[in-house]
Amino acid sequence: MRDRLQTRYQVQAQLRRPIKERPAHEKSQRETTLLLPTLRTLKKLPNFYLSIVNMVGPIASLSQLNRADGSASYKCPATGYSILGAVNAPIELPARRDALKPEEATVEVFVKPGTTTAGVGERHVEGILRSVLGKIVLGREKGFPRRGVVLTLAIVGGENVERGDSANLSQYLTILPALLHAGLLAMVSASVPLSMTFSATLLGVTKSGDIVRDLSPTAAKAAVSLHVFAVSSKNHLLLNESEGRFDFDTWELVRERALSVCQGETAASADGDVTMGEGTASASLNGFIRETVEDQVYSDYAFKLDSI
Amino acid sequence: MSAPLVLLPSDEVPQDHLPTNNSNPLRLGPGLRILSQPSSKGSSHVLTATQAGLLTTDAKRNTVSLLSFPNRRYIPTVNDFVIAQIHHSSVDFFHCMVTPHTAHALLGQLSFEGASKKTRPMLKQGELVYARVQSVGVGAGAEVELTCVNPATGKADGGLGPLTGGMVFDVSTGMAARLIRASSSSAEHTDAIEGLVVLSELGKKLESLGGFEIAVGRNGKVWVDCSNAAESAVKVTVAVGRCLQETDQQNLHPHDQKKLVTKILRDMKLVS
Repeated sequence: MRDRLQTRYQVQAQLRRPIKERPAHEKSQRETTLLLPTLRTLKKLPNFYLSIVNMVGPIASLSQLNRADGSASYKCPATGYSILGAVNAPIELPARRDALKPEEATVEVFVKPGTTTAGVGERHVEGILRSVLGKIVLGREKGFPRRGVVLTLAIVGGENVERGDSANLSQYLTILPALLHAGLLAMVSASVPLSMTFSATLLGVTKSGDIVRDLSPTAAKAAVSLHVFAVSSKNHLLLNESEGRFDFDTWELVRERALSVCQGETAASADGDVTMGEGTASASLNGFIRETVEDQVYSDYAFKLDSI
Repeated sequence: MSAPLVLLPSDEVPQDHLPTNNSNPLRLGPGLRILSQPSSKGSSHVLTATQAGLLTTDAKRNTVSLLSFPNRRYIPTVNDFVIAQIHHSSVDFFHCMVTPHTAHALLGQLSFEGASKKTRPMLKQGELVYARVQSVGVGAGAEVELTCVNPATGKADGGLGPLTGGMVFDVSTGMAARLIRASSSSAEHTDAIEGLVVLSELGKKLESLGGFEIAVGRNGKVWVDCSNAAESAVKVTVAVGRCLQETDQQNLHPHDQKKLVTKILRDMKLVS
């Protein structure tokens, strides 16, 4: 057990994800000596450092808020967005909001922008989130029918989402994967029964026809088409939001790429220019979700695991 | 036990992790469900997780369950011991608060040991009771009912009843569950399994001062009383509460729990 945890922490440190501090007496000498050279090389070679930063995966942690039933924070360095999500479930809904489907739980989603009040763009993205999450929440489990699952997502970092024109919607495509991940992790943290987990990715097609992953909002404006895919842990395609000009062949290519990004399958290696790290399970987005949850379970049950 | 296994929703429970005791039917705990998969030769059954958590099995009782994230809001479950505060009383019931911002739970005026129409406890607003959850009702908006007596024996088993004196401290629900598990099995080594040495350490150090008494409610409340320790009673109560809260908040290792106890008792000048 201890060995497994240690390797996990080392890998995390190299990916520059937060290292959870363990009591000092547990920290072995070996671990510190292994970490030091990596940090030193990083200081010496700024270019190498930059390439690491570009490759860096998202950062997430669970159960940060005390008063919510479940919460998660999610930060995507590539797009710069940082989301804080909180779930309260099951809670009693006021009035008759349960009347539409009395045998199931009602999933409600609220998206709060950092600087302004919610507007049309937020309503649009709330609808997308509600339909995706509503599909995977098992609303008929004990204690859930006629009650509510309320998810609140606050955009706490990243560029302001522009308002007022049609650019609004494409802006929301760039933030959608981060919102989906934060929402899912918060649901998991609140122990809401789910039929499956999923991961989502944003892919853009540039003018030269390249498929680019995790575009920044400025890069997204220059892209010809934008696509958001959510793929479940069982390989179902849960969500497809596409925007811009594209044909079926492009869409098919983008879909394959999305599957490989989310699932970590080596299917895309046929074209030869697969980006590094996508082939292994831990670098896939579903693998990332799994690792985040495992880390939290291991730290919550450290007292139980230490005695094994 | 094999290596710890963390499951996510939709993960299947591997066959080799199931207990192999065939005398009883396998019982599923929360977070797991059985699905049947149609296949060529009839249908096969698989156990899948619906929550994320640590898979645990009990070979003796032939159960398999999923330990989910422990520090959630408390949701009343039948037979849980809770510490409730009286909000107001009506003709038949005391209306109690078990968790903040939820509907009141009902505690019958006569559900105390030896209570009758003439002799029943007159509890005032704000007083505390140690009670057992009797029923949670069905569906949304159902009332939670509490009792301070075992209906089968008419006795107040396990210290049920009004809590007088002392002080209540808030801990996380996960910590409360750990404290209950650690104390329910009296064997000394169980304390180490739950990773809790703070209480036994406090007990050893404070024995000379007359010891202390605690009651743990699953709703994340710990009641501490120390009526024996004459003038240092308040100090001992606060020290015990602080030790429990800091162990909980910082998720301390047994080794650090002992250090914490020594430090806090010295800070409060209880032991030299």
